[in-house]
Amino acid sequence: MKRIIFSAVASTALLAASGVSAQEIRVGALYPTSGGGAIYGGPAMEGHNMAVEEINAAGGINGRMLVTVARDTKLNPATAASAAKEMITKDKVDVIIGGLSSAVGLAVSEVARQEGVIYIATIPKTIQLTTTKLHPYVFRTASHTDFEGDAMAQLVKQSGGTKVCDIQPDYAYGHDLAAGLKAGLARHAPEVKVVADLRPKLGATDYNVFITQIMGAGCDVVTSGLWGSNFVNFAQQASPFGLFNQIKAYISGGEVASHEIAGKMGDDYPPNVISNTYELWYDHSVPGHQEFQEKVAARSGTKETAMWPVLAYIGVQFYAEAVRKSGGTNSDANVKALEGMTLMTPVGERTINPADHQANTGQFWGPMVKREGFAYKVMHPVTYIPAEIK
Amino acid sequence: MIDLIRDLSPGLATLLTNPQFAFIQLMNSISQGMNLFIIAAGLSLIFGVLKVINFAHGVFYMFGAYVMYSVSQEFGAPFWLGALAAAGALGLIALLIERTLFRQIYEAEHLMQLLLTFAIVLIMGDVAKIIWGTDQYSVSYPASMSGATDLGVTFYPTYRLMLCLIGPVILILLYWFAERTRWGRMTRAATQDREMLAALGVNVPVIYTSVFVIGSMLAGFGGALASPFSSPVPGMDATLIVDCFVIVIVGGLGSLWGSFVGALLYGLVFNFGSVIFPNAQDIFAFMLLLIVLLIRPWGLFGKPEAGGH
Repeated sequence: MKRIIFSAVASTALLAASGVSAQEIRVGALYPTSGGGAIYGGPAMEGHNMAVEEINAAGGINGRMLVTVARDTKLNPATAASAAKEMITKDKVDVIIGGLSSAVGLAVSEVARQEGVIYIATIPKTIQLTTTKLHPYVFRTASHTDFEGDAMAQLVKQSGGTKVCDIQPDYAYGHDLAAGLKAGLARHAPEVKVVADLRPKLGATDYNVFITQIMGAGCDVVTSGLWGSNFVNFAQQASPFGLFNQIKAYISGGEVASHEIAGKMGDDYPPNVISNTYELWYDHSVPGHQEFQEKVAARSGTKETAMWPVLAYIGVQFYAEAVRKSGGTNSDANVKALEGMTLMTPVGERTINPADHQANTGQFWGPMVKREGFAYKVMHPVTYIPAEIK
Repeated sequence: MIDLIRDLSPGLATLLTNPQFAFIQLMNSISQGMNLFIIAAGLSLIFGVLKVINFAHGVFYMFGAYVMYSVSQEFGAPFWLGALAAAGALGLIALLIERTLFRQIYEAEHLMQLLLTFAIVLIMGDVAKIIWGTDQYSVSYPASMSGATDLGVTFYPTYRLMLCLIGPVILILLYWFAERTRWGRMTRAATQDREMLAALGVNVPVIYTSVFVIGSMLAGFGGALASPFSSPVPGMDATLIVDCFVIVIVGGLGSLWGSFVGALLYGLVFNFGSVIFPNAQDIFAFMLLLIVLLIRPWGLFGKPEAGGH
């Protein structure tokens, strides 16, 4: 206890000494950097730091330098909420950028609402963030479950399947993606039936009970939002049953087309997967992407890079532009600046809708296939499905 | 009648009308249970003799999976060599931990023991991140077990069948060791009265070390066997350790047969529960725990603690 008080006093003294003056812009970064979430939070933090360093190297914003205050969410909504609160009250951050997992996003957004500080959600996808839980201070540069579900529905239509088994992780993201998919199917392919709705808990290790239900349901397409190691475990357990060979397509949200999944699975990556990602290190169809990717590669020391850095990078890009436009760190002025803002990012042009604070972030989609020159399955052809619901 | 059931629970209706499906769920329960048994048996063995609740058991399991990945995927060694290497590596780590750390706390109060094992969880979790980074890895099935086997009734993944068989083999081996060997007799004696055993001239510390090493090797081996379907990733120990505690508490702490029956029950309750009530998968294992704790707080195969302290 003594130590906590001491460090609190010390950091307040430090703040006073360094003079959290009008001179620096304090940017709060919230990513999981320890525990299971570090796989994603670590690279995201790299992207964040890269953006901040680039801006500072170019002389800051109107002569003011960006300073990052980073805290660990541990992938836990309660931890994230208290970290957000501390960042605002103790570290005096001007903005919070980040969040990973929909549950964390909702928790941080609530703190931002109470404190009147801008929160830019770079990764959480639950639709609630920009609909039922929308408030003036929350913005999202990530995609969301309605866009993602709609894209999946278009792909179901293209696959020619008529009976769908849907398997989604049992939390906000999975439930919202399932709803987005169903709405999309009603628009694009009303003839398609969802014959099984399965909801394994997030982080489940044994999927056999669900796999055998899918096998018995007689569907020709499986849709899913199982992401990260959830997908790896599901695929490894479903392959011996021959699931991926018996269906037309496994259409998956949750970015399982990204390098960090496909590269690690190698030959174990199952066939007939059609999936999405925000960024592909080998696809330079967007101008400026190659330059960006090479910088990330230089930082990480590998030619192949993960998808997470660009998400955090874009969040910082938007806030920096808002400060440039409004001329300061006043939250309300920056809310105005962000509304309707258009920016060129390493993965394409993005505009924030002033009505719901959502960026028009589409994703790259395509089948995962073996190609010459690659050690593992890659997306080909790559199609950008824009963020629009018709 | 069946239509009424279908309205209430489509899964239950399928179970009742499709024997093949029911059989597959039974196999799923057994194979999941047997993998958990291998790990839980180690936890239970260590508690039975050392009287230490080893929270680090889960992290040992995670290390087993990582070692398996390194040996079989990075060095290209055969699958079973990888599994033995995982067990061996955990044996060595356990030897080191027992000799340097655990030895200090056998006489200490339970809280101290919990703190120590929890500290090991945190330290080893970070060490794993330093060695293997934070990526998730994928371990391939051994080539001969990547497909499915025809059981007459239905096809079932060969690898999972192997799990169903290896569980009982380990049970018999452990039972034989405990009941038929000198080491086993000493171990059982140590659970009852360590002072008396020491007074009789038996080197009790060596017994303790060997028990801790063997228990930890089981965790490593179990992690290696799980790695093809449960990808090595930071934090993979968190859910597993809870499952293991449910199993050993249901079965009775310290009882080998208890772990076996507890693991089987866990598999059955989880799998059939998930089919019948898909929206309440988590509840069943804990319901099982609750019921056992209400009726037999010392577990199905455990013995009530005699008297107070």
